[in-house]
Amino acid sequence: MGSPTRPERALFYTPASVSVDYERDLGDPGSFPYTRGTRAPRTRAPGEGHELIVRELSGEGPPERSNEQFHYLLEHGATGLDVIGDTPTQCFMDPDHPYARHAVGNQGVSVCRGADFAALYEGIPLDRVSCDHSLPGGFAAAGLFLAAEAHGHDPARLRGSAILPPLFAEDTGYSSNLPIELHMRLATDSIEFCSEHMPRFHPFVEDTYYISDGSVDVVDEMALGFVELREVVRRLIARGVDVDRFAPRIALLVNCRMDFFAEIAKIRASRRLYARMMRDEFGARDPRSLAINVAAHTSGATMTSRQIANNIARGAIQAVALTLAGVRAMEISAFDEAIRTPSRDAHIVGLGTQHVVALETGAADVADPLGGAWYVEALTDELEARIAQRIAFIEGLGDVVRLAEDGFFRAIFAEAMVDRAQEVADGTRPVVGVNVNEIAPARDTLLRDLTEKRIAPAYERIDEIAAWRAAREPGAVVAGLDRLETDCRGGANVMPALVGALRAQASMGECIGVLRECYDRPYDPLGCVERPR
Amino acid sequence: MSARLRVLVTVLGLDQHEAGSLAVTRLLRDAGAEVIYAGRFQIPGTIATVAVQEDVDVVGVSAHSWEVLHYAAELAERLGRADPPIPVVVGGSVITEADRAQIVRLGIDAAVAPGTSAEDIVATFRALAEGRRALA
Repeated sequence: MGSPTRPERALFYTPASVSVDYERDLGDPGSFPYTRGTRAPRTRAPGEGHELIVRELSGEGPPERSNEQFHYLLEHGATGLDVIGDTPTQCFMDPDHPYARHAVGNQGVSVCRGADFAALYEGIPLDRVSCDHSLPGGFAAAGLFLAAEAHGHDPARLRGSAILPPLFAEDTGYSSNLPIELHMRLATDSIEFCSEHMPRFHPFVEDTYYISDGSVDVVDEMALGFVELREVVRRLIARGVDVDRFAPRIALLVNCRMDFFAEIAKIRASRRLYARMMRDEFGARDPRSLAINVAAHTSGATMTSRQIANNIARGAIQAVALTLAGVRAMEISAFDEAIRTPSRDAHIVGLGTQHVVALETGAADVADPLGGAWYVEALTDELEARIAQRIAFIEGLGDVVRLAEDGFFRAIFAEAMVDRAQEVADGTRPVVGVNVNEIAPARDTLLRDLTEKRIAPAYERIDEIAAWRAAREPGAVVAGLDRLETDCRGGANVMPALVGALRAQASMGECIGVLRECYDRPYDPLGCVERPR
Repeated sequence: MSARLRVLVTVLGLDQHEAGSLAVTRLLRDAGAEVIYAGRFQIPGTIATVAVQEDVDVVGVSAHSWEVLHYAAELAERLGRADPPIPVVVGGSVITEADRAQIVRLGIDAAVAPGTSAEDIVATFRALAEGRRALA
């Protein structure tokens, strides 16, 4: 939003600052265009006004260790889970890949097998707890499907979501050397698969968090997110899937940074933009197709590794903003997020912060409490217009997949990252503890000891996977991978074959290698491992 | 220094965070250096190969994951085999004071923790480059 610190704003706002038509632009919560929220509040109990899902990013070591974390979080008041894979998992790389060695399990959980998902969700009531996944697109849904199967849950009752950033995965997420078309294929196939087999699951979370933490402003965060979302929607409609069949399962996962009112207005503007777009452009008719649920993760990039205690304040402020904006679920960055995936202590602070905001402040008791505020409405209008203009500009440049392949988006992110770093370096973007109100490193000790606890790589997991790989029934693995190849090349939905291959004990790395080959890429782009034959 | 400072900037292992490496690349270029940007997915062997082929004065490794602690010794050893040895600077958001000391103990020539000024970063690269050229 603007540059370098905050956008140009009036000193105060008046009725003349806004031209809102209540029915057209706002509507009650739960009514088109859903600016004020997608649901009419149904309860009055403190903290239950929006049935907020409280969760914390988690995942560490082998699946069994993360499973313990899940139980710990649920015992301490989490109502949803969000699992993040370790870096190899996020790159579709098995833990015994030579490049993965020192990154296994120390910044997320290591999962590469169907059985890993079963272990991850051991004892978790999958029919009641929503499980969100910061895991590679397609595999999250396949893994959860297999976990439900292993634990006797009906997949139709599974709740939760998976992030799918097909256009920007290689630029702002975890690069995995997949062509954009394959990212798109996994996205659209898993959405179609879930609409049939896991109808309560959100297989398509348009994740603008990564886009935003690529340093772009709120306008580009949402504009690029909508460009991606629109491309996926167009493709699904083009393959004959009825828009009202999949649209109710699209969700937004937005970022929340420190520009308090801009973040609130961004969420309100995005709900309105989405409703109008789905109705007027894509012909959706089901009200559930027009009302997009917004979840949020607060910005890891706003967390500082210096004076980390300040991050608790940042998380709390962001949690208040998100509550006022009426998000359906949130997770706030733990105070150690600039350094590591959250520690147990930081998780407790993160959960506690959410509970304090939800239960003590009353901020969640009324839907859209800032509705009608001149400043907020003016900002919401402005952001809706600017996001729409930016979408039109980008789509006017041509095919967005081509733009992605040509590096158009990468250039936007690279420039934004450098500009942001420069603003922090030269002090035009104030960051407390970093370029203003600094204290000397030697005196920067508050909570420092906690963040310096390192998680060792899970080397034992590497040995376990290597032994498992050698002991498998090779014929079944090869047959599973061959079926995946046949379906992919033949244009079928790859998800049934992906589930089948994982069930036949193929690994995630093997499956993605085969899919890469279908798109004329090397099985292993780093040239270290070969396809099982 | 007479000739232009020539630096290889890269990211180690599976670390996916590029903001720091891109920022340092811009910083060094603005300071007049010639920067070869090798991007992500580099491990000590590949970094050493590229550094020697490109005949750089210094290698800058951006580290925003803990992989750096496990690769530091090998990285120092491989670049130490060049003739003359190619010095390495490691920098990144996750590096605490304790890490900085450990990384240097493992043979890396300099470790830049968060909060280091742009001037100090450039000066670190220049000093290491001058030291290497003096050996040539």
